Amino acid sequence: MGGGGFTMEPENPALDHYLLTLLPKREPRLLFLPTASGDPVEQTHRFHAAYDGKGVTTTVLSLFRLHEQPVPLAELVLAQDLIYVGGGSMRNMLAIWREHQLDDLLREAWSRGTVLAGLSAGAMCWFAGGITKSGGAPAPVAGLGLLPASLSVHRDGEPDRLPVYRAAVRDGLLPPGWAADDGAGLLFEGHELTQVVTSRAGAGAARVEADGSEHELEALELPKVRDGALRTIPADIAEYRALRRARG
Amino acid sequence: MSSPRPPQIVAFGGGGFSQEAGNPLLDDYVLSLTGVQRPKVCFLPTASGDADHYITRFYRAFSGCALPSHVSLFREERGETRGFRERLLDQDLIYVGGGSVQSLLGTWRAHGVDEILAEAWERGVVLCGLSAGSLCWFADVVSAFNGPPRRVAGLGLLPYSNAVHYDTNAERRTSYHRLMSEGMLDGYAAADGAALHFVGRDLERVVASRRAARAYRVTWSRGQVVETELETRYLGAAEPSTAAVAA
Repeated sequence: MGGGGFTMEPENPALDHYLLTLLPKREPRLLFLPTASGDPVEQTHRFHAAYDGKGVTTTVLSLFRLHEQPVPLAELVLAQDLIYVGGGSMRNMLAIWREHQLDDLLREAWSRGTVLAGLSAGAMCWFAGGITKSGGAPAPVAGLGLLPASLSVHRDGEPDRLPVYRAAVRDGLLPPGWAADDGAGLLFEGHELTQVVTSRAGAGAARVEADGSEHELEALELPKVRDGALRTIPADIAEYRALRRARG
Repeated sequence: MSSPRPPQIVAFGGGGFSQEAGNPLLDDYVLSLTGVQRPKVCFLPTASGDADHYITRFYRAFSGCALPSHVSLFREERGETRGFRERLLDQDLIYVGGGSVQSLLGTWRAHGVDEILAEAWERGVVLCGLSAGSLCWFADVVSAFNGPPRRVAGLGLLPYSNAVHYDTNAERRTSYHRLMSEGMLDGYAAADGAALHFVGRDLERVVASRRAARAYRVTWSRGQVVETELETRYLGAAEPSTAAVAA
């Protein structure tokens, strides 16, 4: 996501809802990683609120606060259906992940079919590289490289990134890739871009080539969702839960 | 300009403004080591992810007695990190907050803060901190974050191992002893309220903000862990005075 989702546009859950449609299972497990902004409490609350009552299990992994009952990272990460990464400092996030060897775990989760998602730093991290403002001025930065391309985010919201991105691709510092607006989501299956979706009219993304050529991609504007429509608990699961409660 | 200071590190097992509200004994002790009337004190809240409430508490604790500032490595886009090398080297005291030592070290290394702190130390900027802010100075430390306790390589300014919160967490003690048997360096353990003051690489003294707080030398000798209680100086009044009670 070039931007958007519950941390940026909590009043518009279209992209957050879209992510759930990618998960085939009932009661999927969602893990949120707010590492890039230092695990602020308000993002944790917003994540739980965004997916509360939607028939999903939500967990937040903090790499700053000790947990009461520590779960080995591998056990936690590899048990998820969706891993959602928040925005912030890409440089800090990747350095911290490496320190905890979370980079390898995320790669493994992806290869096992866990859907990886995120906005801003949490989107660019999956690519070979992107444009970070972790040092103040926009500059190219390496990502985890699951996708052998590049991504630049906030094309509309932070326009100073785009010229730096174009130059980095042209000069070969970054492989060719995409520049995405706030509210635009790019879906990759394997290494292939299969869909571009947006949470708002006018948002989109462009392919940026090394020869300087660019073309705007066709994007599907997601239907507006009222928060309550995000995901309802299937009747049989609701019944099972009621039964479980009754048995104590 | 004050007289040159030797390299000094004060490693709190726990305590100071973040853990002992109303008991400034450890904080006052580190301030006194600067030899400056109104020292420049810079807070590094990295291990907490630069938590806003923590930064606020730091300013509350130090505004009256020092010239406080902080460096946030998560707020670069607001310009709060500009020129942080010069700012850090210009301090009398650098105070490192608690949190995750691994996340702290990863972030510091990504920004070169590890090298800046080594330089500051050599130049006589007093370094201190609690919990993760204690562990970071040592070579070989116990981290109990997200999984079984394990060894993590710290900055290594002090070529020892370190364990913190030593009295309140029995599991940490067991883990430390086990890791010793697996080749962890000899080192020091400190309880909440106890602080290890090193001048250069040598332990100068142990100070405490609570009467019962203790620190230990922990070594591996002839196939077993040897834990020796260190002499500790309580920083409060020797005996509770009647005046203090009346107040």
